[in-house]
Amino acid sequence: MLNGQSNDAFNYLYDNYSGAIYTIINQIVSDKDTASDVMQDVFVNIWRKINTYDAGKGRLFTWMLNIARNAAIDKVRSKGYRDNRKNQPMMGNETSGIAMSTNPMVTDVGLKKVLTTLNEEYRKLIDLSYFQGFTHEEIAKMMGIPLGTVKTRIRTAIIQLRKMVG
Amino acid sequence: MNIKEYISSGVVESYVLGLLTAQERFEFEKYCEAYPELKEARTSFELAIEKQAIENSIAPPADLKQKIASKIFAENKTAPVIPIETARPRRFNWARLVAAASIILLAGAIWWNMNLKNQNDKLRGDYAALQENLKVSRDSMAQIIAEANNIQKEGMKTVGLNGTANSPRSFATVYWDTTSHDVYLLVNNLPKPASDEQYQLWALLKTNNQLQTIDLGMLQLSQKPLQVYKMTNARSAQGFAITLEKKDGNPDPNLQKIYVMSDL
Repeated sequence: MLNGQSNDAFNYLYDNYSGAIYTIINQIVSDKDTASDVMQDVFVNIWRKINTYDAGKGRLFTWMLNIARNAAIDKVRSKGYRDNRKNQPMMGNETSGIAMSTNPMVTDVGLKKVLTTLNEEYRKLIDLSYFQGFTHEEIAKMMGIPLGTVKTRIRTAIIQLRKMVG
Repeated sequence: MNIKEYISSGVVESYVLGLLTAQERFEFEKYCEAYPELKEARTSFELAIEKQAIENSIAPPADLKQKIASKIFAENKTAPVIPIETARPRRFNWARLVAAASIILLAGAIWWNMNLKNQNDKLRGDYAALQENLKVSRDSMAQIIAEANNIQKEGMKTVGLNGTANSPRSFATVYWDTTSHDVYLLVNNLPKPASDEQYQLWALLKTNNQLQTIDLGMLQLSQKPLQVYKMTNARSAQGFAITLEKKDGNPDPNLQKIYVMSDL
């Protein structure tokens, strides 16, 4: 239905999902101008890649959400972005505290809101893996705990998260 | 596999949130096709997340929609839609890894193949050399056996020629077929002659106290050790001797230069 790439299709996508997409981007990228740039890239990309969406592998929103998340994490990791934020702590050096990757204004909505109900350790793990996009190996290194433990704890955190999402 | 355990392991949520490794993701997708209840669990979590995300979303700046629309549709007018790949997938690119792995495997296979080919070529060369060696050995062997048979056949007379004062350590053997009169010579030990000299074999006959010598031919200049050479036939002989003569020999032997001689 969306493959026609008509104006209507775009309106449908944007009107239904732009808020959720914009929110996830803001929860990863911390300034609003950058978030708007990423948002534009994400929608253009969704539009271009719509033919590659495979309904057998999940819902359209899940697909879009992951594109947005990946694009935002890419942006945060890009050199230009980091150079603009030189006076702020660099990513990866700061593994304590959870809200640093987050625009304070949007901390308490969506998934992030759910996160606040998790205990500190689980919150940190979800933040590092989901919002900052670190692999389990990277997290294990950063936190100095075995890879197996990281995997188990993230799974446990996710199961708890699941209960709260409903 | 216990699908219930798998579903409640957090793998479903991890998949939807994009937290699985490529390998785990691939597995999950495979299981989804086999287990409808897994797919159901996935859809259920997707819907929950979707609901959460939409209900708790903040509105993007009002002008953003128009900006994006003009980008998308301007692009559509100027150029046909190119199937993607401008966005850098941050997550691990499985397809690219597979492609890279294939190339590495291919390169490995080619290298391996070339190695095998080289090895094969070398073995082939070695084999040919061995075959050649074997042929030479066989030929020598056949010759030796023929000689041995020849020498041992009935009527064959073996005559030892002992070194004279000229060369006490020299020794040669004459095989004389008394039926066919063929003469064969085996040089066991003779000093190497000067380049203008050559050994000559003689048959010796004593009649009425007179020594008669019959020319049985020249020894080859480069006589191989312990090899039997056929000489000129001798109808009758009572003994044999080898003298050192000038090159190509003399009609009569130089009796001062007898090197080996048999008893008469």
